[in-house]
This record gives sequence, structure tokens and C-alpha cells, in this order.
Amino acid sequence: MGALSLGRLAYLALVVAIFAFVIAPLLMIVWVSFFAEKILSFPPTGYTLSWYARASEMADFANGFLMSVKVGLCATLASLALGVPAALAIERFPFPGRETIRQTLLSPMYVPAIVAGAAVYIYFIELEILTNFQLAATFTGLVIAHTLVALPWTLRLVCASLVSANTISEEAARSLGANALQTFFYVTLPIIRPGMIAAAMFSFIASFSDLEKSLFLVGPGKTTLPIAILNYLEWSLDPTIAAVATVQIFIIGAALIVSDRFVKLGKVF
Amino acid sequence: MAGVTLSNIRKTYGTLAAVDDVSIEILDGELLALLGPSGCGKTTTLRMIAGFVAPTAGTVRFGGRDVTRVPVHKRNVGMVFQGYALFPHLTVAKNVEFGLKVRGWDKAKIAARVTEMLHWVQMEALAERSPRALSGGQQQRVALARAMAHEPEVLLLDEPFSALDAKLRGQMRTEIRELQRQAGITSVFVTHDQEEAMAIADRIGVMNHGRLEQLGSAEDLYKRPVSRFVAGFIGKCNFIEGHVTGPGRFETANGQALQFSGEHSIGPAALCFRPEHGVLTPLATPGNSLPVTVKAVTYLGPVTEYDLVSEAGNRLLVSASSSGEGAPKEGDKLSVAWSIGDAFVVD
Amino acid sequence: MREGRNWGGSALVVPALFLVAAFLLAPLALILRYSFDKYDPVKLMLGIFSPGNYVQAVADPFYQNVLSTTAYIAALSTVIVMLLAFPVAYYISRVESQRLRGWLIILTMLPLLLGNAVRSAAWMIVMGTKGVANAVMLGVGLIEEPIKILYTPTAVVIALVSVLLPFAIITLQSVMDAIPTSLEEAGQSLGHSPLRTVFEVVLPLAMPGVVAAAAISFALAMNAYATPVLIGGPTMKMMGPAVYDQIAKANNWPFGSTLACILMVVTLVLTVLSTRFLSRKYF
Repeated sequence: MGALSLGRLAYLALVVAIFAFVIAPLLMIVWVSFFAEKILSFPPTGYTLSWYARASEMADFANGFLMSVKVGLCATLASLALGVPAALAIERFPFPGRETIRQTLLSPMYVPAIVAGAAVYIYFIELEILTNFQLAATFTGLVIAHTLVALPWTLRLVCASLVSANTISEEAARSLGANALQTFFYVTLPIIRPGMIAAAMFSFIASFSDLEKSLFLVGPGKTTLPIAILNYLEWSLDPTIAAVATVQIFIIGAALIVSDRFVKLGKVF
Repeated sequence: MAGVTLSNIRKTYGTLAAVDDVSIEILDGELLALLGPSGCGKTTTLRMIAGFVAPTAGTVRFGGRDVTRVPVHKRNVGMVFQGYALFPHLTVAKNVEFGLKVRGWDKAKIAARVTEMLHWVQMEALAERSPRALSGGQQQRVALARAMAHEPEVLLLDEPFSALDAKLRGQMRTEIRELQRQAGITSVFVTHDQEEAMAIADRIGVMNHGRLEQLGSAEDLYKRPVSRFVAGFIGKCNFIEGHVTGPGRFETANGQALQFSGEHSIGPAALCFRPEHGVLTPLATPGNSLPVTVKAVTYLGPVTEYDLVSEAGNRLLVSASSSGEGAPKEGDKLSVAWSIGDAFVVD
Repeated sequence: MREGRNWGGSALVVPALFLVAAFLLAPLALILRYSFDKYDPVKLMLGIFSPGNYVQAVADPFYQNVLSTTAYIAALSTVIVMLLAFPVAYYISRVESQRLRGWLIILTMLPLLLGNAVRSAAWMIVMGTKGVANAVMLGVGLIEEPIKILYTPTAVVIALVSVLLPFAIITLQSVMDAIPTSLEEAGQSLGHSPLRTVFEVVLPLAMPGVVAAAAISFALAMNAYATPVLIGGPTMKMMGPAVYDQIAKANNWPFGSTLACILMVVTLVLTVLSTRFLSRKYF
């Protein structure tokens, strides 16, 4: 089947066209971020880097970016702290009902983001009325919501690496006299480390790019980058926003490529 | 029906030659086995005959027709796949029918042919079953019926018995051999099992590192192997290193003179004999013999195998009918002898 | 050590379970309850239990329109997505080079992981009146005046298709990966052209994946928020934005909860359906 027949060529062209359909808008936005003119016109009259400077000077974007990074890091750490033990429990200590537990822990992935966002928002307000403890429009509240976004990714990736690493090396360590804790730190942890790094990356990406769950929970001065982009887009579309989007594209693209070094993404999905 | 001619076919992947300059003429109605270890190029060769792999060089002909650039679906081949590749979403009958509709046969003719094929492989009763509900042997029969239904010019079988357990394997290969004879179809089958190849093939092509080492009947290959690889791959064989000193004369590495039958040029070589041709005797006998020590005795029922080591450090194997009294024991110092007619030399 | 092991087994899962139970399941239960309450301009909620909101959501012409628009847009997007995802997923699952395969999957996933804000911004730049699409069409003389693409249902469908494609491709590709290539070879050896083999062998065997991917796509499209808001504009009324408007802007928690619960149930049914179909895979 080495020969390139006409049919095969047409098929190849179709696949390329579909990929182009998905990717082209992203290339466009990167391109536009360098346009000299504020009012979009194609082709551009010239190129400039000044929109990046302008974007970084805008408080909404600068603060949103910082907030997204901080929330993303906290949510990632929290989802690892909760997800790795949970994955271990599910994959290494068979207990009754563990499939139900697994599905429950993965459920944040399946509950529609807008529904979950609305529900968590109402819940936070009711909690505040009840206990006087404010979560809505606070950093803590955002981190809790984003940990929910990140947890399924951590669980999936760590479970996958636990499944692919068979239990024989752990049993070997136990037979050589290591206790459960030593076995975990000397054998299991090194084996699942690539999975954990990928889990951290994906957790961060999932948190960093989340829009719907944060929508209800942000407050004045507590806005994430995607929300800042959304607010700006409702009023105007110009190279500044393209510059902001480009920054996000490169951060997430880099995180993807880094995680691919640790876990072949072709095998994750 | 037609024979298949492979002329100097090559397949290279980058710098690696998976199949290197192989020429075979497969006769009309013949069953040819391609035999070799994994990675020897036998499967690639089969896939080039089928049309799944395009040769880098050389031609494939069915009868007089050059099919080298003809895609699979226009070649009119029948293929039985490793693991059978029956369609799980179709019934047994629909599987057999699969190649007929596309050829524009009318309904009545298709129905008749499906019945005929299922009768041929004795599967009429299970026509409406899902292939997943069948045993391995039954699946294989369906796969054969499906491959033969559209009256292909060539039947190709890729490790057809590897998914069966040992007992069924023997039965199925006799069955397939009979069905192939009845149909009189030119067939090529690929296997890594020399016993299987010897049992059913008219001729065997032994492949190694992408090359065809030897092509011949089972007896040819066993009695007159042309290379060390063939000698070692077809049956068990003892190799004694040394060099040929003259016509029929051989000298071992430590200087002992031995004799062999057949021709070989002067130079480094190995003298070979089969384990069943060796005889253990208490004394050194004139002619071909070596003093040995018995290292291990393995009782295998009708025969017993003796692992031996010669003074020069050669490991040798001799098998003999199991006998009760006076059989050699571990540690015995004996001689192994073999007749000159049974000794041959390879590079 | 044995006791430690058993104790560890059940306990390690508790913190994660607590997070999900306390901050997802409990909130969902809460809005399920509120969806049966009634809004009051002064007291916000009356504390009653009645299916009135559900009746209103189905009977009120405005929300009928929202529901039917949402379902129509979601269905149309799903059909287009499946038509596009199938050839791509098949290509990825059959590509020989593992490297290329890895890159194709990253390329597939990248837009998904960028999030809706960035992706919507990109589509706005392409589809705006002064956007790339209009500039190109004007440039080659296809049109004489810029046409309105952004803020139309067509624009929403186009953008949604690009949102849903990665999910559909990944779901289909994982099912196709498991279909042995020998089945396609068998099809071809029996006289079927490669294209016909796809329809007669690959499509039926991938059908559970097709149904699952379609269900997931439809559910995601129903729940879309950013795409209808940004690409559809203020006149585009879909369920996602309606939930936000009711709860965050109108403060009508009961009715907003009702809309959210309708979305939740539709999604739940489709998710269960898709897992059911996936479990019927041949391989």
C-alpha cells in the first residue's frame, strides 16, 4: 500500500484540512498579536511588539495572569495531595465498591462545568449564610473549585501509570523486607513519577484554562485570566487580547510538550 | 488457477532489508511453506504476494500476469490470517459471503456458493452463529471457507495454526492439507514451526535474515542442507568445527581426521551429523568417531537423548532407542561414532 | 504490617472523596432541591416544594425557544463533528509512525486544553466583520461587502464543532485503535477496496465508539457557555448562558437551578448511554 493513489491523496488532504480548521484560528490570533494597527485589517500595515507591553500594563490581565498561576499551582498541589493516595487506594488495595468510588472521583469531569459552577456558587453562599465563612469570590473558594477541575486528571493519569507498572516489583520489595511505606517511597513512587509529572501538568492546564467553573466564583480583584479575557472580549476585539491569548497558548503548549516527555500523550487518551 | 513467480523481490525499510533478493517459482497447485525464525522476512514475503506490501524491487506474477503494482483487492487472492480475522459483527455465513457481493454475483449464486463452502468445511450447522461463539478449529474452517469462496487464484496462510492448542493443531493441519489438495489451489503458508512445515508442505523455503537459504522438499532440507542455518533449523544437528582438507576429508580443530560424504571446497567449515545417526560405543571405532563424556541423560519415552562433551570441548547430542539394561549413564566415558554417509559439511 | 495495609487501603481515598462529596455532590443536591422552590423578589426563595419551575421551563415560549435552539445547535454540531472526526480518528489510529501519532494527538488536544476563552477569541478574529475570513473572501473577490458571520447561529456551530472535535476524535480513535488491522486486510483480500472496507468493516466495528462520541459531543454542546456568549452574541439564547443569567444576574436561584438540573439530567443520561455503548465494543 506504499503507492499514493488518488483516493489516498484526497483522504490525506481531507485530514490536513480538518486539522487546519482546528489549528488555523489559533495561528491567526498569534499573528494578529503582532499587528501594528489597533483596528484589525488584513493584511496588516506593519508589525509591533507593543501590544504585549500594553497587555502586561493592564491591571486586569496582569492580575488575572498572576491569579491564574497562583490558583493553578495551589489546585495542582491539592489535587496531587488528594489524587495520588486515592489512586493508590483504588489500584493497589482492592476494596468493595472501588469502581463506584473511582467513578465518583472522576465525576467532576462529567458534570457540566456551568452546572457545577452554578451549584458550587449557590452552595458557597449558603455556607456563608450558615457559618459566616466566605468562600465565594475568595482565593480559597477558587482553589477548591479548581482542585475539583484538576482531580480527575490526576486520578486518571496516576491510575494509568499504576496499572501499567505491575505489582511484581512492589511484591519483590516486600519480599526483601521493605515495609509498606519504604516500598512506596523506594519502588512505587519512582515508577509512577512520570505519571505524576504528567498529572501535575494536566491539572495545571485544566485549572489555568478553566472558564465556566470560575465564572461564578471570581470577585472584584479576584479574577482569573480566562475571565479577564472573556470580560474584555465582550467589549472589544483587538491585538491586545490577541497578545494575552498568545501568552496563554504558549504556556499551555509548553506544558503539553513537557508532559509528553514524561508520558507519551498518544497513550494517555 | 496459476502458479506464483517471485523474481528478485526485495523490501527495504530504510537501510534494513526485510526481504533481500528472493526468487521462488511456486508451481500450480503446490503447497509451499515459508519457514524461518521471526524477523526472517517470511511474513513480508507473504504480504508482498498478497499485495499488502509493495516490493522495493522485483516482480510478483500470478501465472503470466504481473501483479506487482496491483492492489490487494484486485489480485484475487484468498488469505487466512493469523488469528483468522473473522468479522465479529457478521455471522459465519455473512463472513463467507463477504467476498462475493463485491464481485457482483447474483443472490442465488452467492447463496449456493456459501452453502457449498460451509458444507466443504462442515460448518453448515453453525452458519448463523457469531464467529465469537466458535472454537478455534471452527473459526479456522470458517476462515478457510471465506478465503476460498470467491475462487481465488492463490491461497495464502499466515501462521494459520499458531492460535490452536497442540492437539488440535495436528488435526487441523491434516484437514487443511486435504482441503487444499481437493481444491488444487496454489498455496503459500508461513510458519516458524519446522515440524508443521515438513508435515504438510510439498516444498519448503527456509528463510533467514531476509534471504531464501534453501528451497526444497522436507527430505532435501533434512538430508542435504546447504547451510549451517538450515542444518540447525530443520531438526537437531551436531556441529564439529574444523576445516576441509581435501575431497571427503575433514580435520577437527584439535587435529583429528574425519570423513564426510558430498562436496565441499577446502577451508574452514563444520562437520555435521544428526543425533539419531550417532552411536555410543564403549571403544574407539575406526572411521568417524570421537571420545566423549556423557554429561546428561534425558529420557523421552521411546528415545533417550544423551548430552555429550568431546575432548575438544564440543557439545554433542545423540539420541537412541530407549533400552533398559546397560544404557550409558552420566559420567561414562565412551565414544560416539557415525557413518561417513551420514556426515556432511557446511560453512 | 498487615493491619497497617488494610487500614491504609480504605483510608487513602477518604480525603479526595470528601472533596468531591462536600464540594460537588452536596452542591448538586442543593440545587436539585432549589429547583423545586419558587423565586420571590423580596425573600429570594419561598421555601416551598413544587414542580412549577419545570413546568415553566417546558411551557414558557421563551424557554421553549432556548431549549429547542440549544438542542438544534447541539444536534447539528454533533452531526458535523462526527463526519469530520471519523476520518481524522481513523488516520491517527492507523498512522505507522509513533512520533507522528504523538504529534497529531497533541495537535488534537491543544485547542481543547487552551480553554474556551482563548479559543473563542481566536474564532472571533477569524469570523469578525473585519476578520480573516471576510478579508480573504473580499481579497479573492468571492464577496463585495463583508458578510456577517460572527453573532450568527452558523458561527456558533462552526466554533462548537472545533470545541467538540478533540473529544470526538479521541473517543473514536481509542475504539479504532483496538480494531485489529488484520480485519481490514481480510476485507481487502476478499476484494473490497480500502474505502469500501472502511464502510463495511471499520464503521460497523467502531459503531459503539461513534454512538458514544456523538453522545458526549451532544452533551458538551448542550452545556456550552463561552461559545454562545462570545460567538453567538446577545441574541443567541442557549441553556448555558441562561443558567448563568438566571443565577448570577437575575438572582433567580430556583429557576436557574431548574435549568441547571435539566442540563445535568440530559448530560447524565447521555454519559450513561455512551458508557453503555462503549462497553458493547467488539474489542
